[in-house]
Amino acid sequence: MTDLLHDPFFQSSLLPLLLSLLAVGVLHRLWRPLAPATVGVVFLAVFALVVGVPALPPPSSLGKLFWAAAAGLALGAGLDLAGVKGRGGAVPLALWLAASLVWIALPALDGLVAVLTLAVLVVAGVAFVTGGPAGAPSPVPAASLVLALALGVGGTALIGSSASIAQTALALAAAAGGFLLWNWPVARHGWGLAGQAAAGVAVLLAAVLALFTQTQAVGLLLILPALLAGRVRLPPAATPVGRAMSAAAVTVLTLLPAVAAIGAAYALNGGESSPY
Amino acid sequence: MTKTLFAAVLFATAAAGALTPAAAAPVDYKVDPAHTSVAFIINHVGFSNLIGRFNTVAGDLTFDKDAVEKSTLAVTIDTASVDTNHAKRDEHLKSPDFFNTKEFPKLTFKSTRIEKTGATTGKLYGDMTLLGVTKPVVLDVTFNKDGVSPASKLETAGFSARGTLKRSDFGMKYGVPAIGDEVTLLIEAEAVKK
Repeated sequence: MTDLLHDPFFQSSLLPLLLSLLAVGVLHRLWRPLAPATVGVVFLAVFALVVGVPALPPPSSLGKLFWAAAAGLALGAGLDLAGVKGRGGAVPLALWLAASLVWIALPALDGLVAVLTLAVLVVAGVAFVTGGPAGAPSPVPAASLVLALALGVGGTALIGSSASIAQTALALAAAAGGFLLWNWPVARHGWGLAGQAAAGVAVLLAAVLALFTQTQAVGLLLILPALLAGRVRLPPAATPVGRAMSAAAVTVLTLLPAVAAIGAAYALNGGESSPY
Repeated sequence: MTKTLFAAVLFATAAAGALTPAAAAPVDYKVDPAHTSVAFIINHVGFSNLIGRFNTVAGDLTFDKDAVEKSTLAVTIDTASVDTNHAKRDEHLKSPDFFNTKEFPKLTFKSTRIEKTGATTGKLYGDMTLLGVTKPVVLDVTFNKDGVSPASKLETAGFSARGTLKRSDFGMKYGVPAIGDEVTLLIEAEAVKK
């Protein structure tokens, strides 16, 4: 069992998927509005397993990432519990993400490229957590967006020799996958600000990847079209099977930009995958 | 005759003075990067023990051969110079998973005391700072030789040092225990007189 827990592939795929399925199931019974928060909570649990719980105050970018993610999830869940919606929820979440990105990026701001990278991350990140499919009636487009973001970041990190970012980002993707399975073929939960905070966590992971590693992270820009996930309009399906296929199609379409980003990372890396 | 005797006594006195060992003063040396190797060994998933090294090392040594306890050493290593003979792995080692070179570009060691254990051996106690964390480290040091190097014609002193540390003590926890926690240090160093 200990060996399994230390297996990087188990840590970043099956474990977070199972944890997510279990946690969403428990909250489905006990506290349904908080079910989307499991995506971020599972990420934190896997981070603690893979990297360890960072000290406070955090000495490094990875430590800041962990505590910023925890703060964002707490903020999102708190706002959800308080029944805050619309701009009242979007503004604090955007401020949390922008402040977290600046806090994490500060030691790396040694030139114009780094400053521009931070600016792009802030603009795109705020768009991810406040716009996109957050307001859609089904949680599927928004959870699919988190899946796409995390998959793109994880795949890029895996190719670019940043194992812990790859593992934790893929764990976030698996956690979003668990939530999606609970809402397929029928949507059973809302999404809320705790879910949107999980999209912010993916952006924080992208920031550490872009600013503190030698990974060619510019390909992550190709994920931006995934923001349109909530606007995908498929012909209305009359049957349950049709509705299930429609939801699956939305997820697949949202994932296409992430696949493109991973492909770009592979090409930018000279077509060489990492040795681990 | 008196003059000759006086000259002989003077010469003998001068010769005796030259032969009597004077109290040696501490000598300042600079670490010679061309003849210094800082290597490490770490277990890789139980299959093998991987050897790596740092290619950029600098430092200052104040060496008192007759009272080694009074000697001091300060060394700085560029963590981005880590080299394991595999470019992709080195890229990973420079990432936040390990040396986090962007945030913590230097590894430093500063001696705190030296304990003589034999004619040419001793324990070097010091503070090592890695990833912003400072912890005490002990190295077993052997003094190999000093004198003028026939190659460089410079006054040179040579040492070997061995030691172990736990990387998790410095917050470098990624991959433990699959990638070993205990790291063995192998240091071969020459220092030239300033």
